[in-house]
Amino acid sequence: MLRARKSEDVHIEDEVVAREVDRVLGRAAGGGVGGKQRPLVEVINDTLYHERARLHHAADDARARADRAFHARVRHELPHASASRQTALVREMVERYVAEIAGHFDRRVYGFATRVLPYGLSGLMQGFSPRGLLNELRGSSRLDEHLLLEGEVKALQRLAKLGTVILVPTHSSNLDSLLIGYAIYRMGLPPFVYGAGINLFTNPLTSYFMHNLGAYTVDRSKTDPLYRDTLKQYATVSLELGQHNLFFPGGARSRSGELETRPKLGLLGAGLTAFRNNLLRGAESRARMFIVPCTISYPLVLEAASLAREFLEETGRSQYIVVNDEFSRIQRWVDFLRGIAALDLRVHVRIGRALDPFGDDVDEQGVSRDSRGREVDPRRYLLRDGRVFDDAARDAEYTRMLGTRITESYRRDNVAMPTSVLAFALLELLRRDVAQPDLFRLLRTIGPDTPLDVTRVEAEVEKLVAELRVLEHDGKIRLSDELRTTDGRDIVARGLRGLRTYHTTPIAVRRGTQLLVQDADLLFYYRNRLEGYGLLGAQRLYPAKVLS
Amino acid sequence: MIAVLGAGNWGTTLADVLAENGDVVRLWTRTPAQRDEINARHTNEGAAPGLRLPDTVTATCDLGEAVRDAAIVLIVIPSQAFREVARALGEVLVPEQIVLHATKGLERESNARMTEILLEETCAKQIGVLSGPNLAPEIARHKPAGTVVASRFPHVIELARKALSCPRLMVFDGDDVIGVELAGALKNVVAIAAGIATEMAVGENAKSLVVTRGLAEITRLAVTMGASPLTFAGLAGIGDLMVTCASPISRNHRVGAALARGQKLPDILSGLGMVAEGVYAAVAARSLAQAHRVEAPLLDHVYRILHEGMGCDEALHELMTLPAGRDVSRFQSITA
Repeated sequence: MLRARKSEDVHIEDEVVAREVDRVLGRAAGGGVGGKQRPLVEVINDTLYHERARLHHAADDARARADRAFHARVRHELPHASASRQTALVREMVERYVAEIAGHFDRRVYGFATRVLPYGLSGLMQGFSPRGLLNELRGSSRLDEHLLLEGEVKALQRLAKLGTVILVPTHSSNLDSLLIGYAIYRMGLPPFVYGAGINLFTNPLTSYFMHNLGAYTVDRSKTDPLYRDTLKQYATVSLELGQHNLFFPGGARSRSGELETRPKLGLLGAGLTAFRNNLLRGAESRARMFIVPCTISYPLVLEAASLAREFLEETGRSQYIVVNDEFSRIQRWVDFLRGIAALDLRVHVRIGRALDPFGDDVDEQGVSRDSRGREVDPRRYLLRDGRVFDDAARDAEYTRMLGTRITESYRRDNVAMPTSVLAFALLELLRRDVAQPDLFRLLRTIGPDTPLDVTRVEAEVEKLVAELRVLEHDGKIRLSDELRTTDGRDIVARGLRGLRTYHTTPIAVRRGTQLLVQDADLLFYYRNRLEGYGLLGAQRLYPAKVLS
Repeated sequence: MIAVLGAGNWGTTLADVLAENGDVVRLWTRTPAQRDEINARHTNEGAAPGLRLPDTVTATCDLGEAVRDAAIVLIVIPSQAFREVARALGEVLVPEQIVLHATKGLERESNARMTEILLEETCAKQIGVLSGPNLAPEIARHKPAGTVVASRFPHVIELARKALSCPRLMVFDGDDVIGVELAGALKNVVAIAAGIATEMAVGENAKSLVVTRGLAEITRLAVTMGASPLTFAGLAGIGDLMVTCASPISRNHRVGAALARGQKLPDILSGLGMVAEGVYAAVAARSLAQAHRVEAPLLDHVYRILHEGMGCDEALHELMTLPAGRDVSRFQSITA
């Protein structure tokens, strides 16, 4: 498959183009694995169709105009194109995609960017103008103080030397990729490549870091299957070459605030494909693939308000309208980072136990272990009649199992914080009072100024924390240090400070002996981080999406 | 080479089918006498009376020997002994081996499904379940039957079908492992209810009412646990339910009939001399229904008759005076 010379000589872009074109030609000849025969004309027309639909809604910028011109030329040529000309057109289409995907990747500046990052963000915390961000390298408040890096850090550092790592974090905020990029730097790991949404490249606040953190570009508005396959090919080839990767298995940021329950399996399967490909061509030394789950737990989430509204809008098809995202607004960044700094809040980045591409645990020596701790040779899961066998349906199922293990890991390494605890208790009390089974009606009855007796809230919070502590003891969740106390008053006070600080409307405030809930949607968003643990005997507020 | 673990009635019959289909079969049993009988005389009179096994079926008490180099390991062990065997299997199994089981039931206390136990105790991942309306003595006598093999792995189904399909056994496929396992376990509770109804002579209408509502309840419960409702319209669902509820020789049916005659559970079980899965399944059904907040009045009343001494007449009266809801609900599968 890999028309490899020595690994250093392989240009990833060329390899991706070659393979994707091979794959399409293979299917056109009827030799594809698991799929039907698919003539080239059909592939080309499919691209034209999907791209036309996309460009219909796209902004009229230089990129869109170039795309339109290219498509017009293809459309013009196609009816008269010979077989070899069709192949050339497919190649050209794939090349354009690869150029866009890989366009921003530059390893040389990776080191520089990570050195700038902690000062840069702390600069923002002190209210420097974003324009001065890149020049201003001084600053007393370091990002380190607000970012706790915990968990299996040592194991990850070791595994990154033994094989290829795919880091798979939870995804709540666009800040995630910046924080993870920084965490990778702080752990002393070599660069990780990852696919960042194209919006991150167009946002002036992040584009600088994005260009330089080893990111390739993902344009989610492109629905063309050829594009999707090319993206996956890109990740697979980079993994086969031994480059560590970063995927967000949730695909997009969690809009409900809940931990991911349904990872996107397409990209996740790239690890297994790379593992298998390396075995098939005898590159055993490069074959070891470690998938490392990681949770990022925020006391406050920059984009909480718009994410919550988007979730409710889609789920309820109600009158909720998507507002523009906080992420693109400088003032929200400044407020957010100031809030985090002022309250001395901490974001927990927790590295989980590594898994192999089949979902089995991997120990610090890189050895796979079954659920009883016995050593397993993961290659054997691919054997049929003694040889490594290519079976896409089988591998998809293995990847589904891996996805399940990742979501379990998220649950265990989720760090509960006072904001979520308070939000959970408040919404539970309100739900009991209102006795309204419909989520949307329930939320509409809440706020502004919905009162709850503070002693009742404190008692409920104490009960909740007691339950959380039992779960923590059983290794089913983590508690932040602020939850070490058993004093409900203290936890409520801390939770309130968080919930009233950053968001434009305080989520809840205290007035005398009462707590007044102001914003039902945000309350819902923050409480959802503790959904699915069966806390306080509460039923789910909305149907779970589980792996299918 | 195929390993069959468990030389009971069904395990021995399946070994016979596999061997007749051309596979070499190693049958694992704990009992040396059974092993010797199978190896010397090719019979297993205690478990499968009248059956003469092909010479290609050999028995062993050594699990490692049974499983070594087997392409498929087929487990046919009662549900309450399943974990113990699975744990031992975990010591000898290798990742490329395919594991199928044909055990209908849930583990007591944990309510674990058999494939869940396999994942916990062994390195097996390519696994599947065999279930359906399969009275072993009929298949042993070469009467025609159909069965379903469910697995998320197409290759598992392909191999199972190749190994088991023959003129007396049609092998259908499915991918709803959870549904097939839950159907096989929970239908036994409905069978007890059907036994009660038969013995009470409340009429064919009532019997049909019991079976249909029972099916609705086990479907609803299983769907909240991740099963597809359609599975319950298939061989593992209505198919198995028909055979279990219609046949008066089924153990669960006999338990129901004895309850309706006013006998007490311990006496019934000691008279039966063997396990009636439905007695445990009723406990599992109740705790699962509570945990998943599913209304299952029929299953609940079977539990109360079995384990709380409720009278059958009283149960019938209570059930008949409950408000009747929608006949067929629109199931929303959580995996959809």
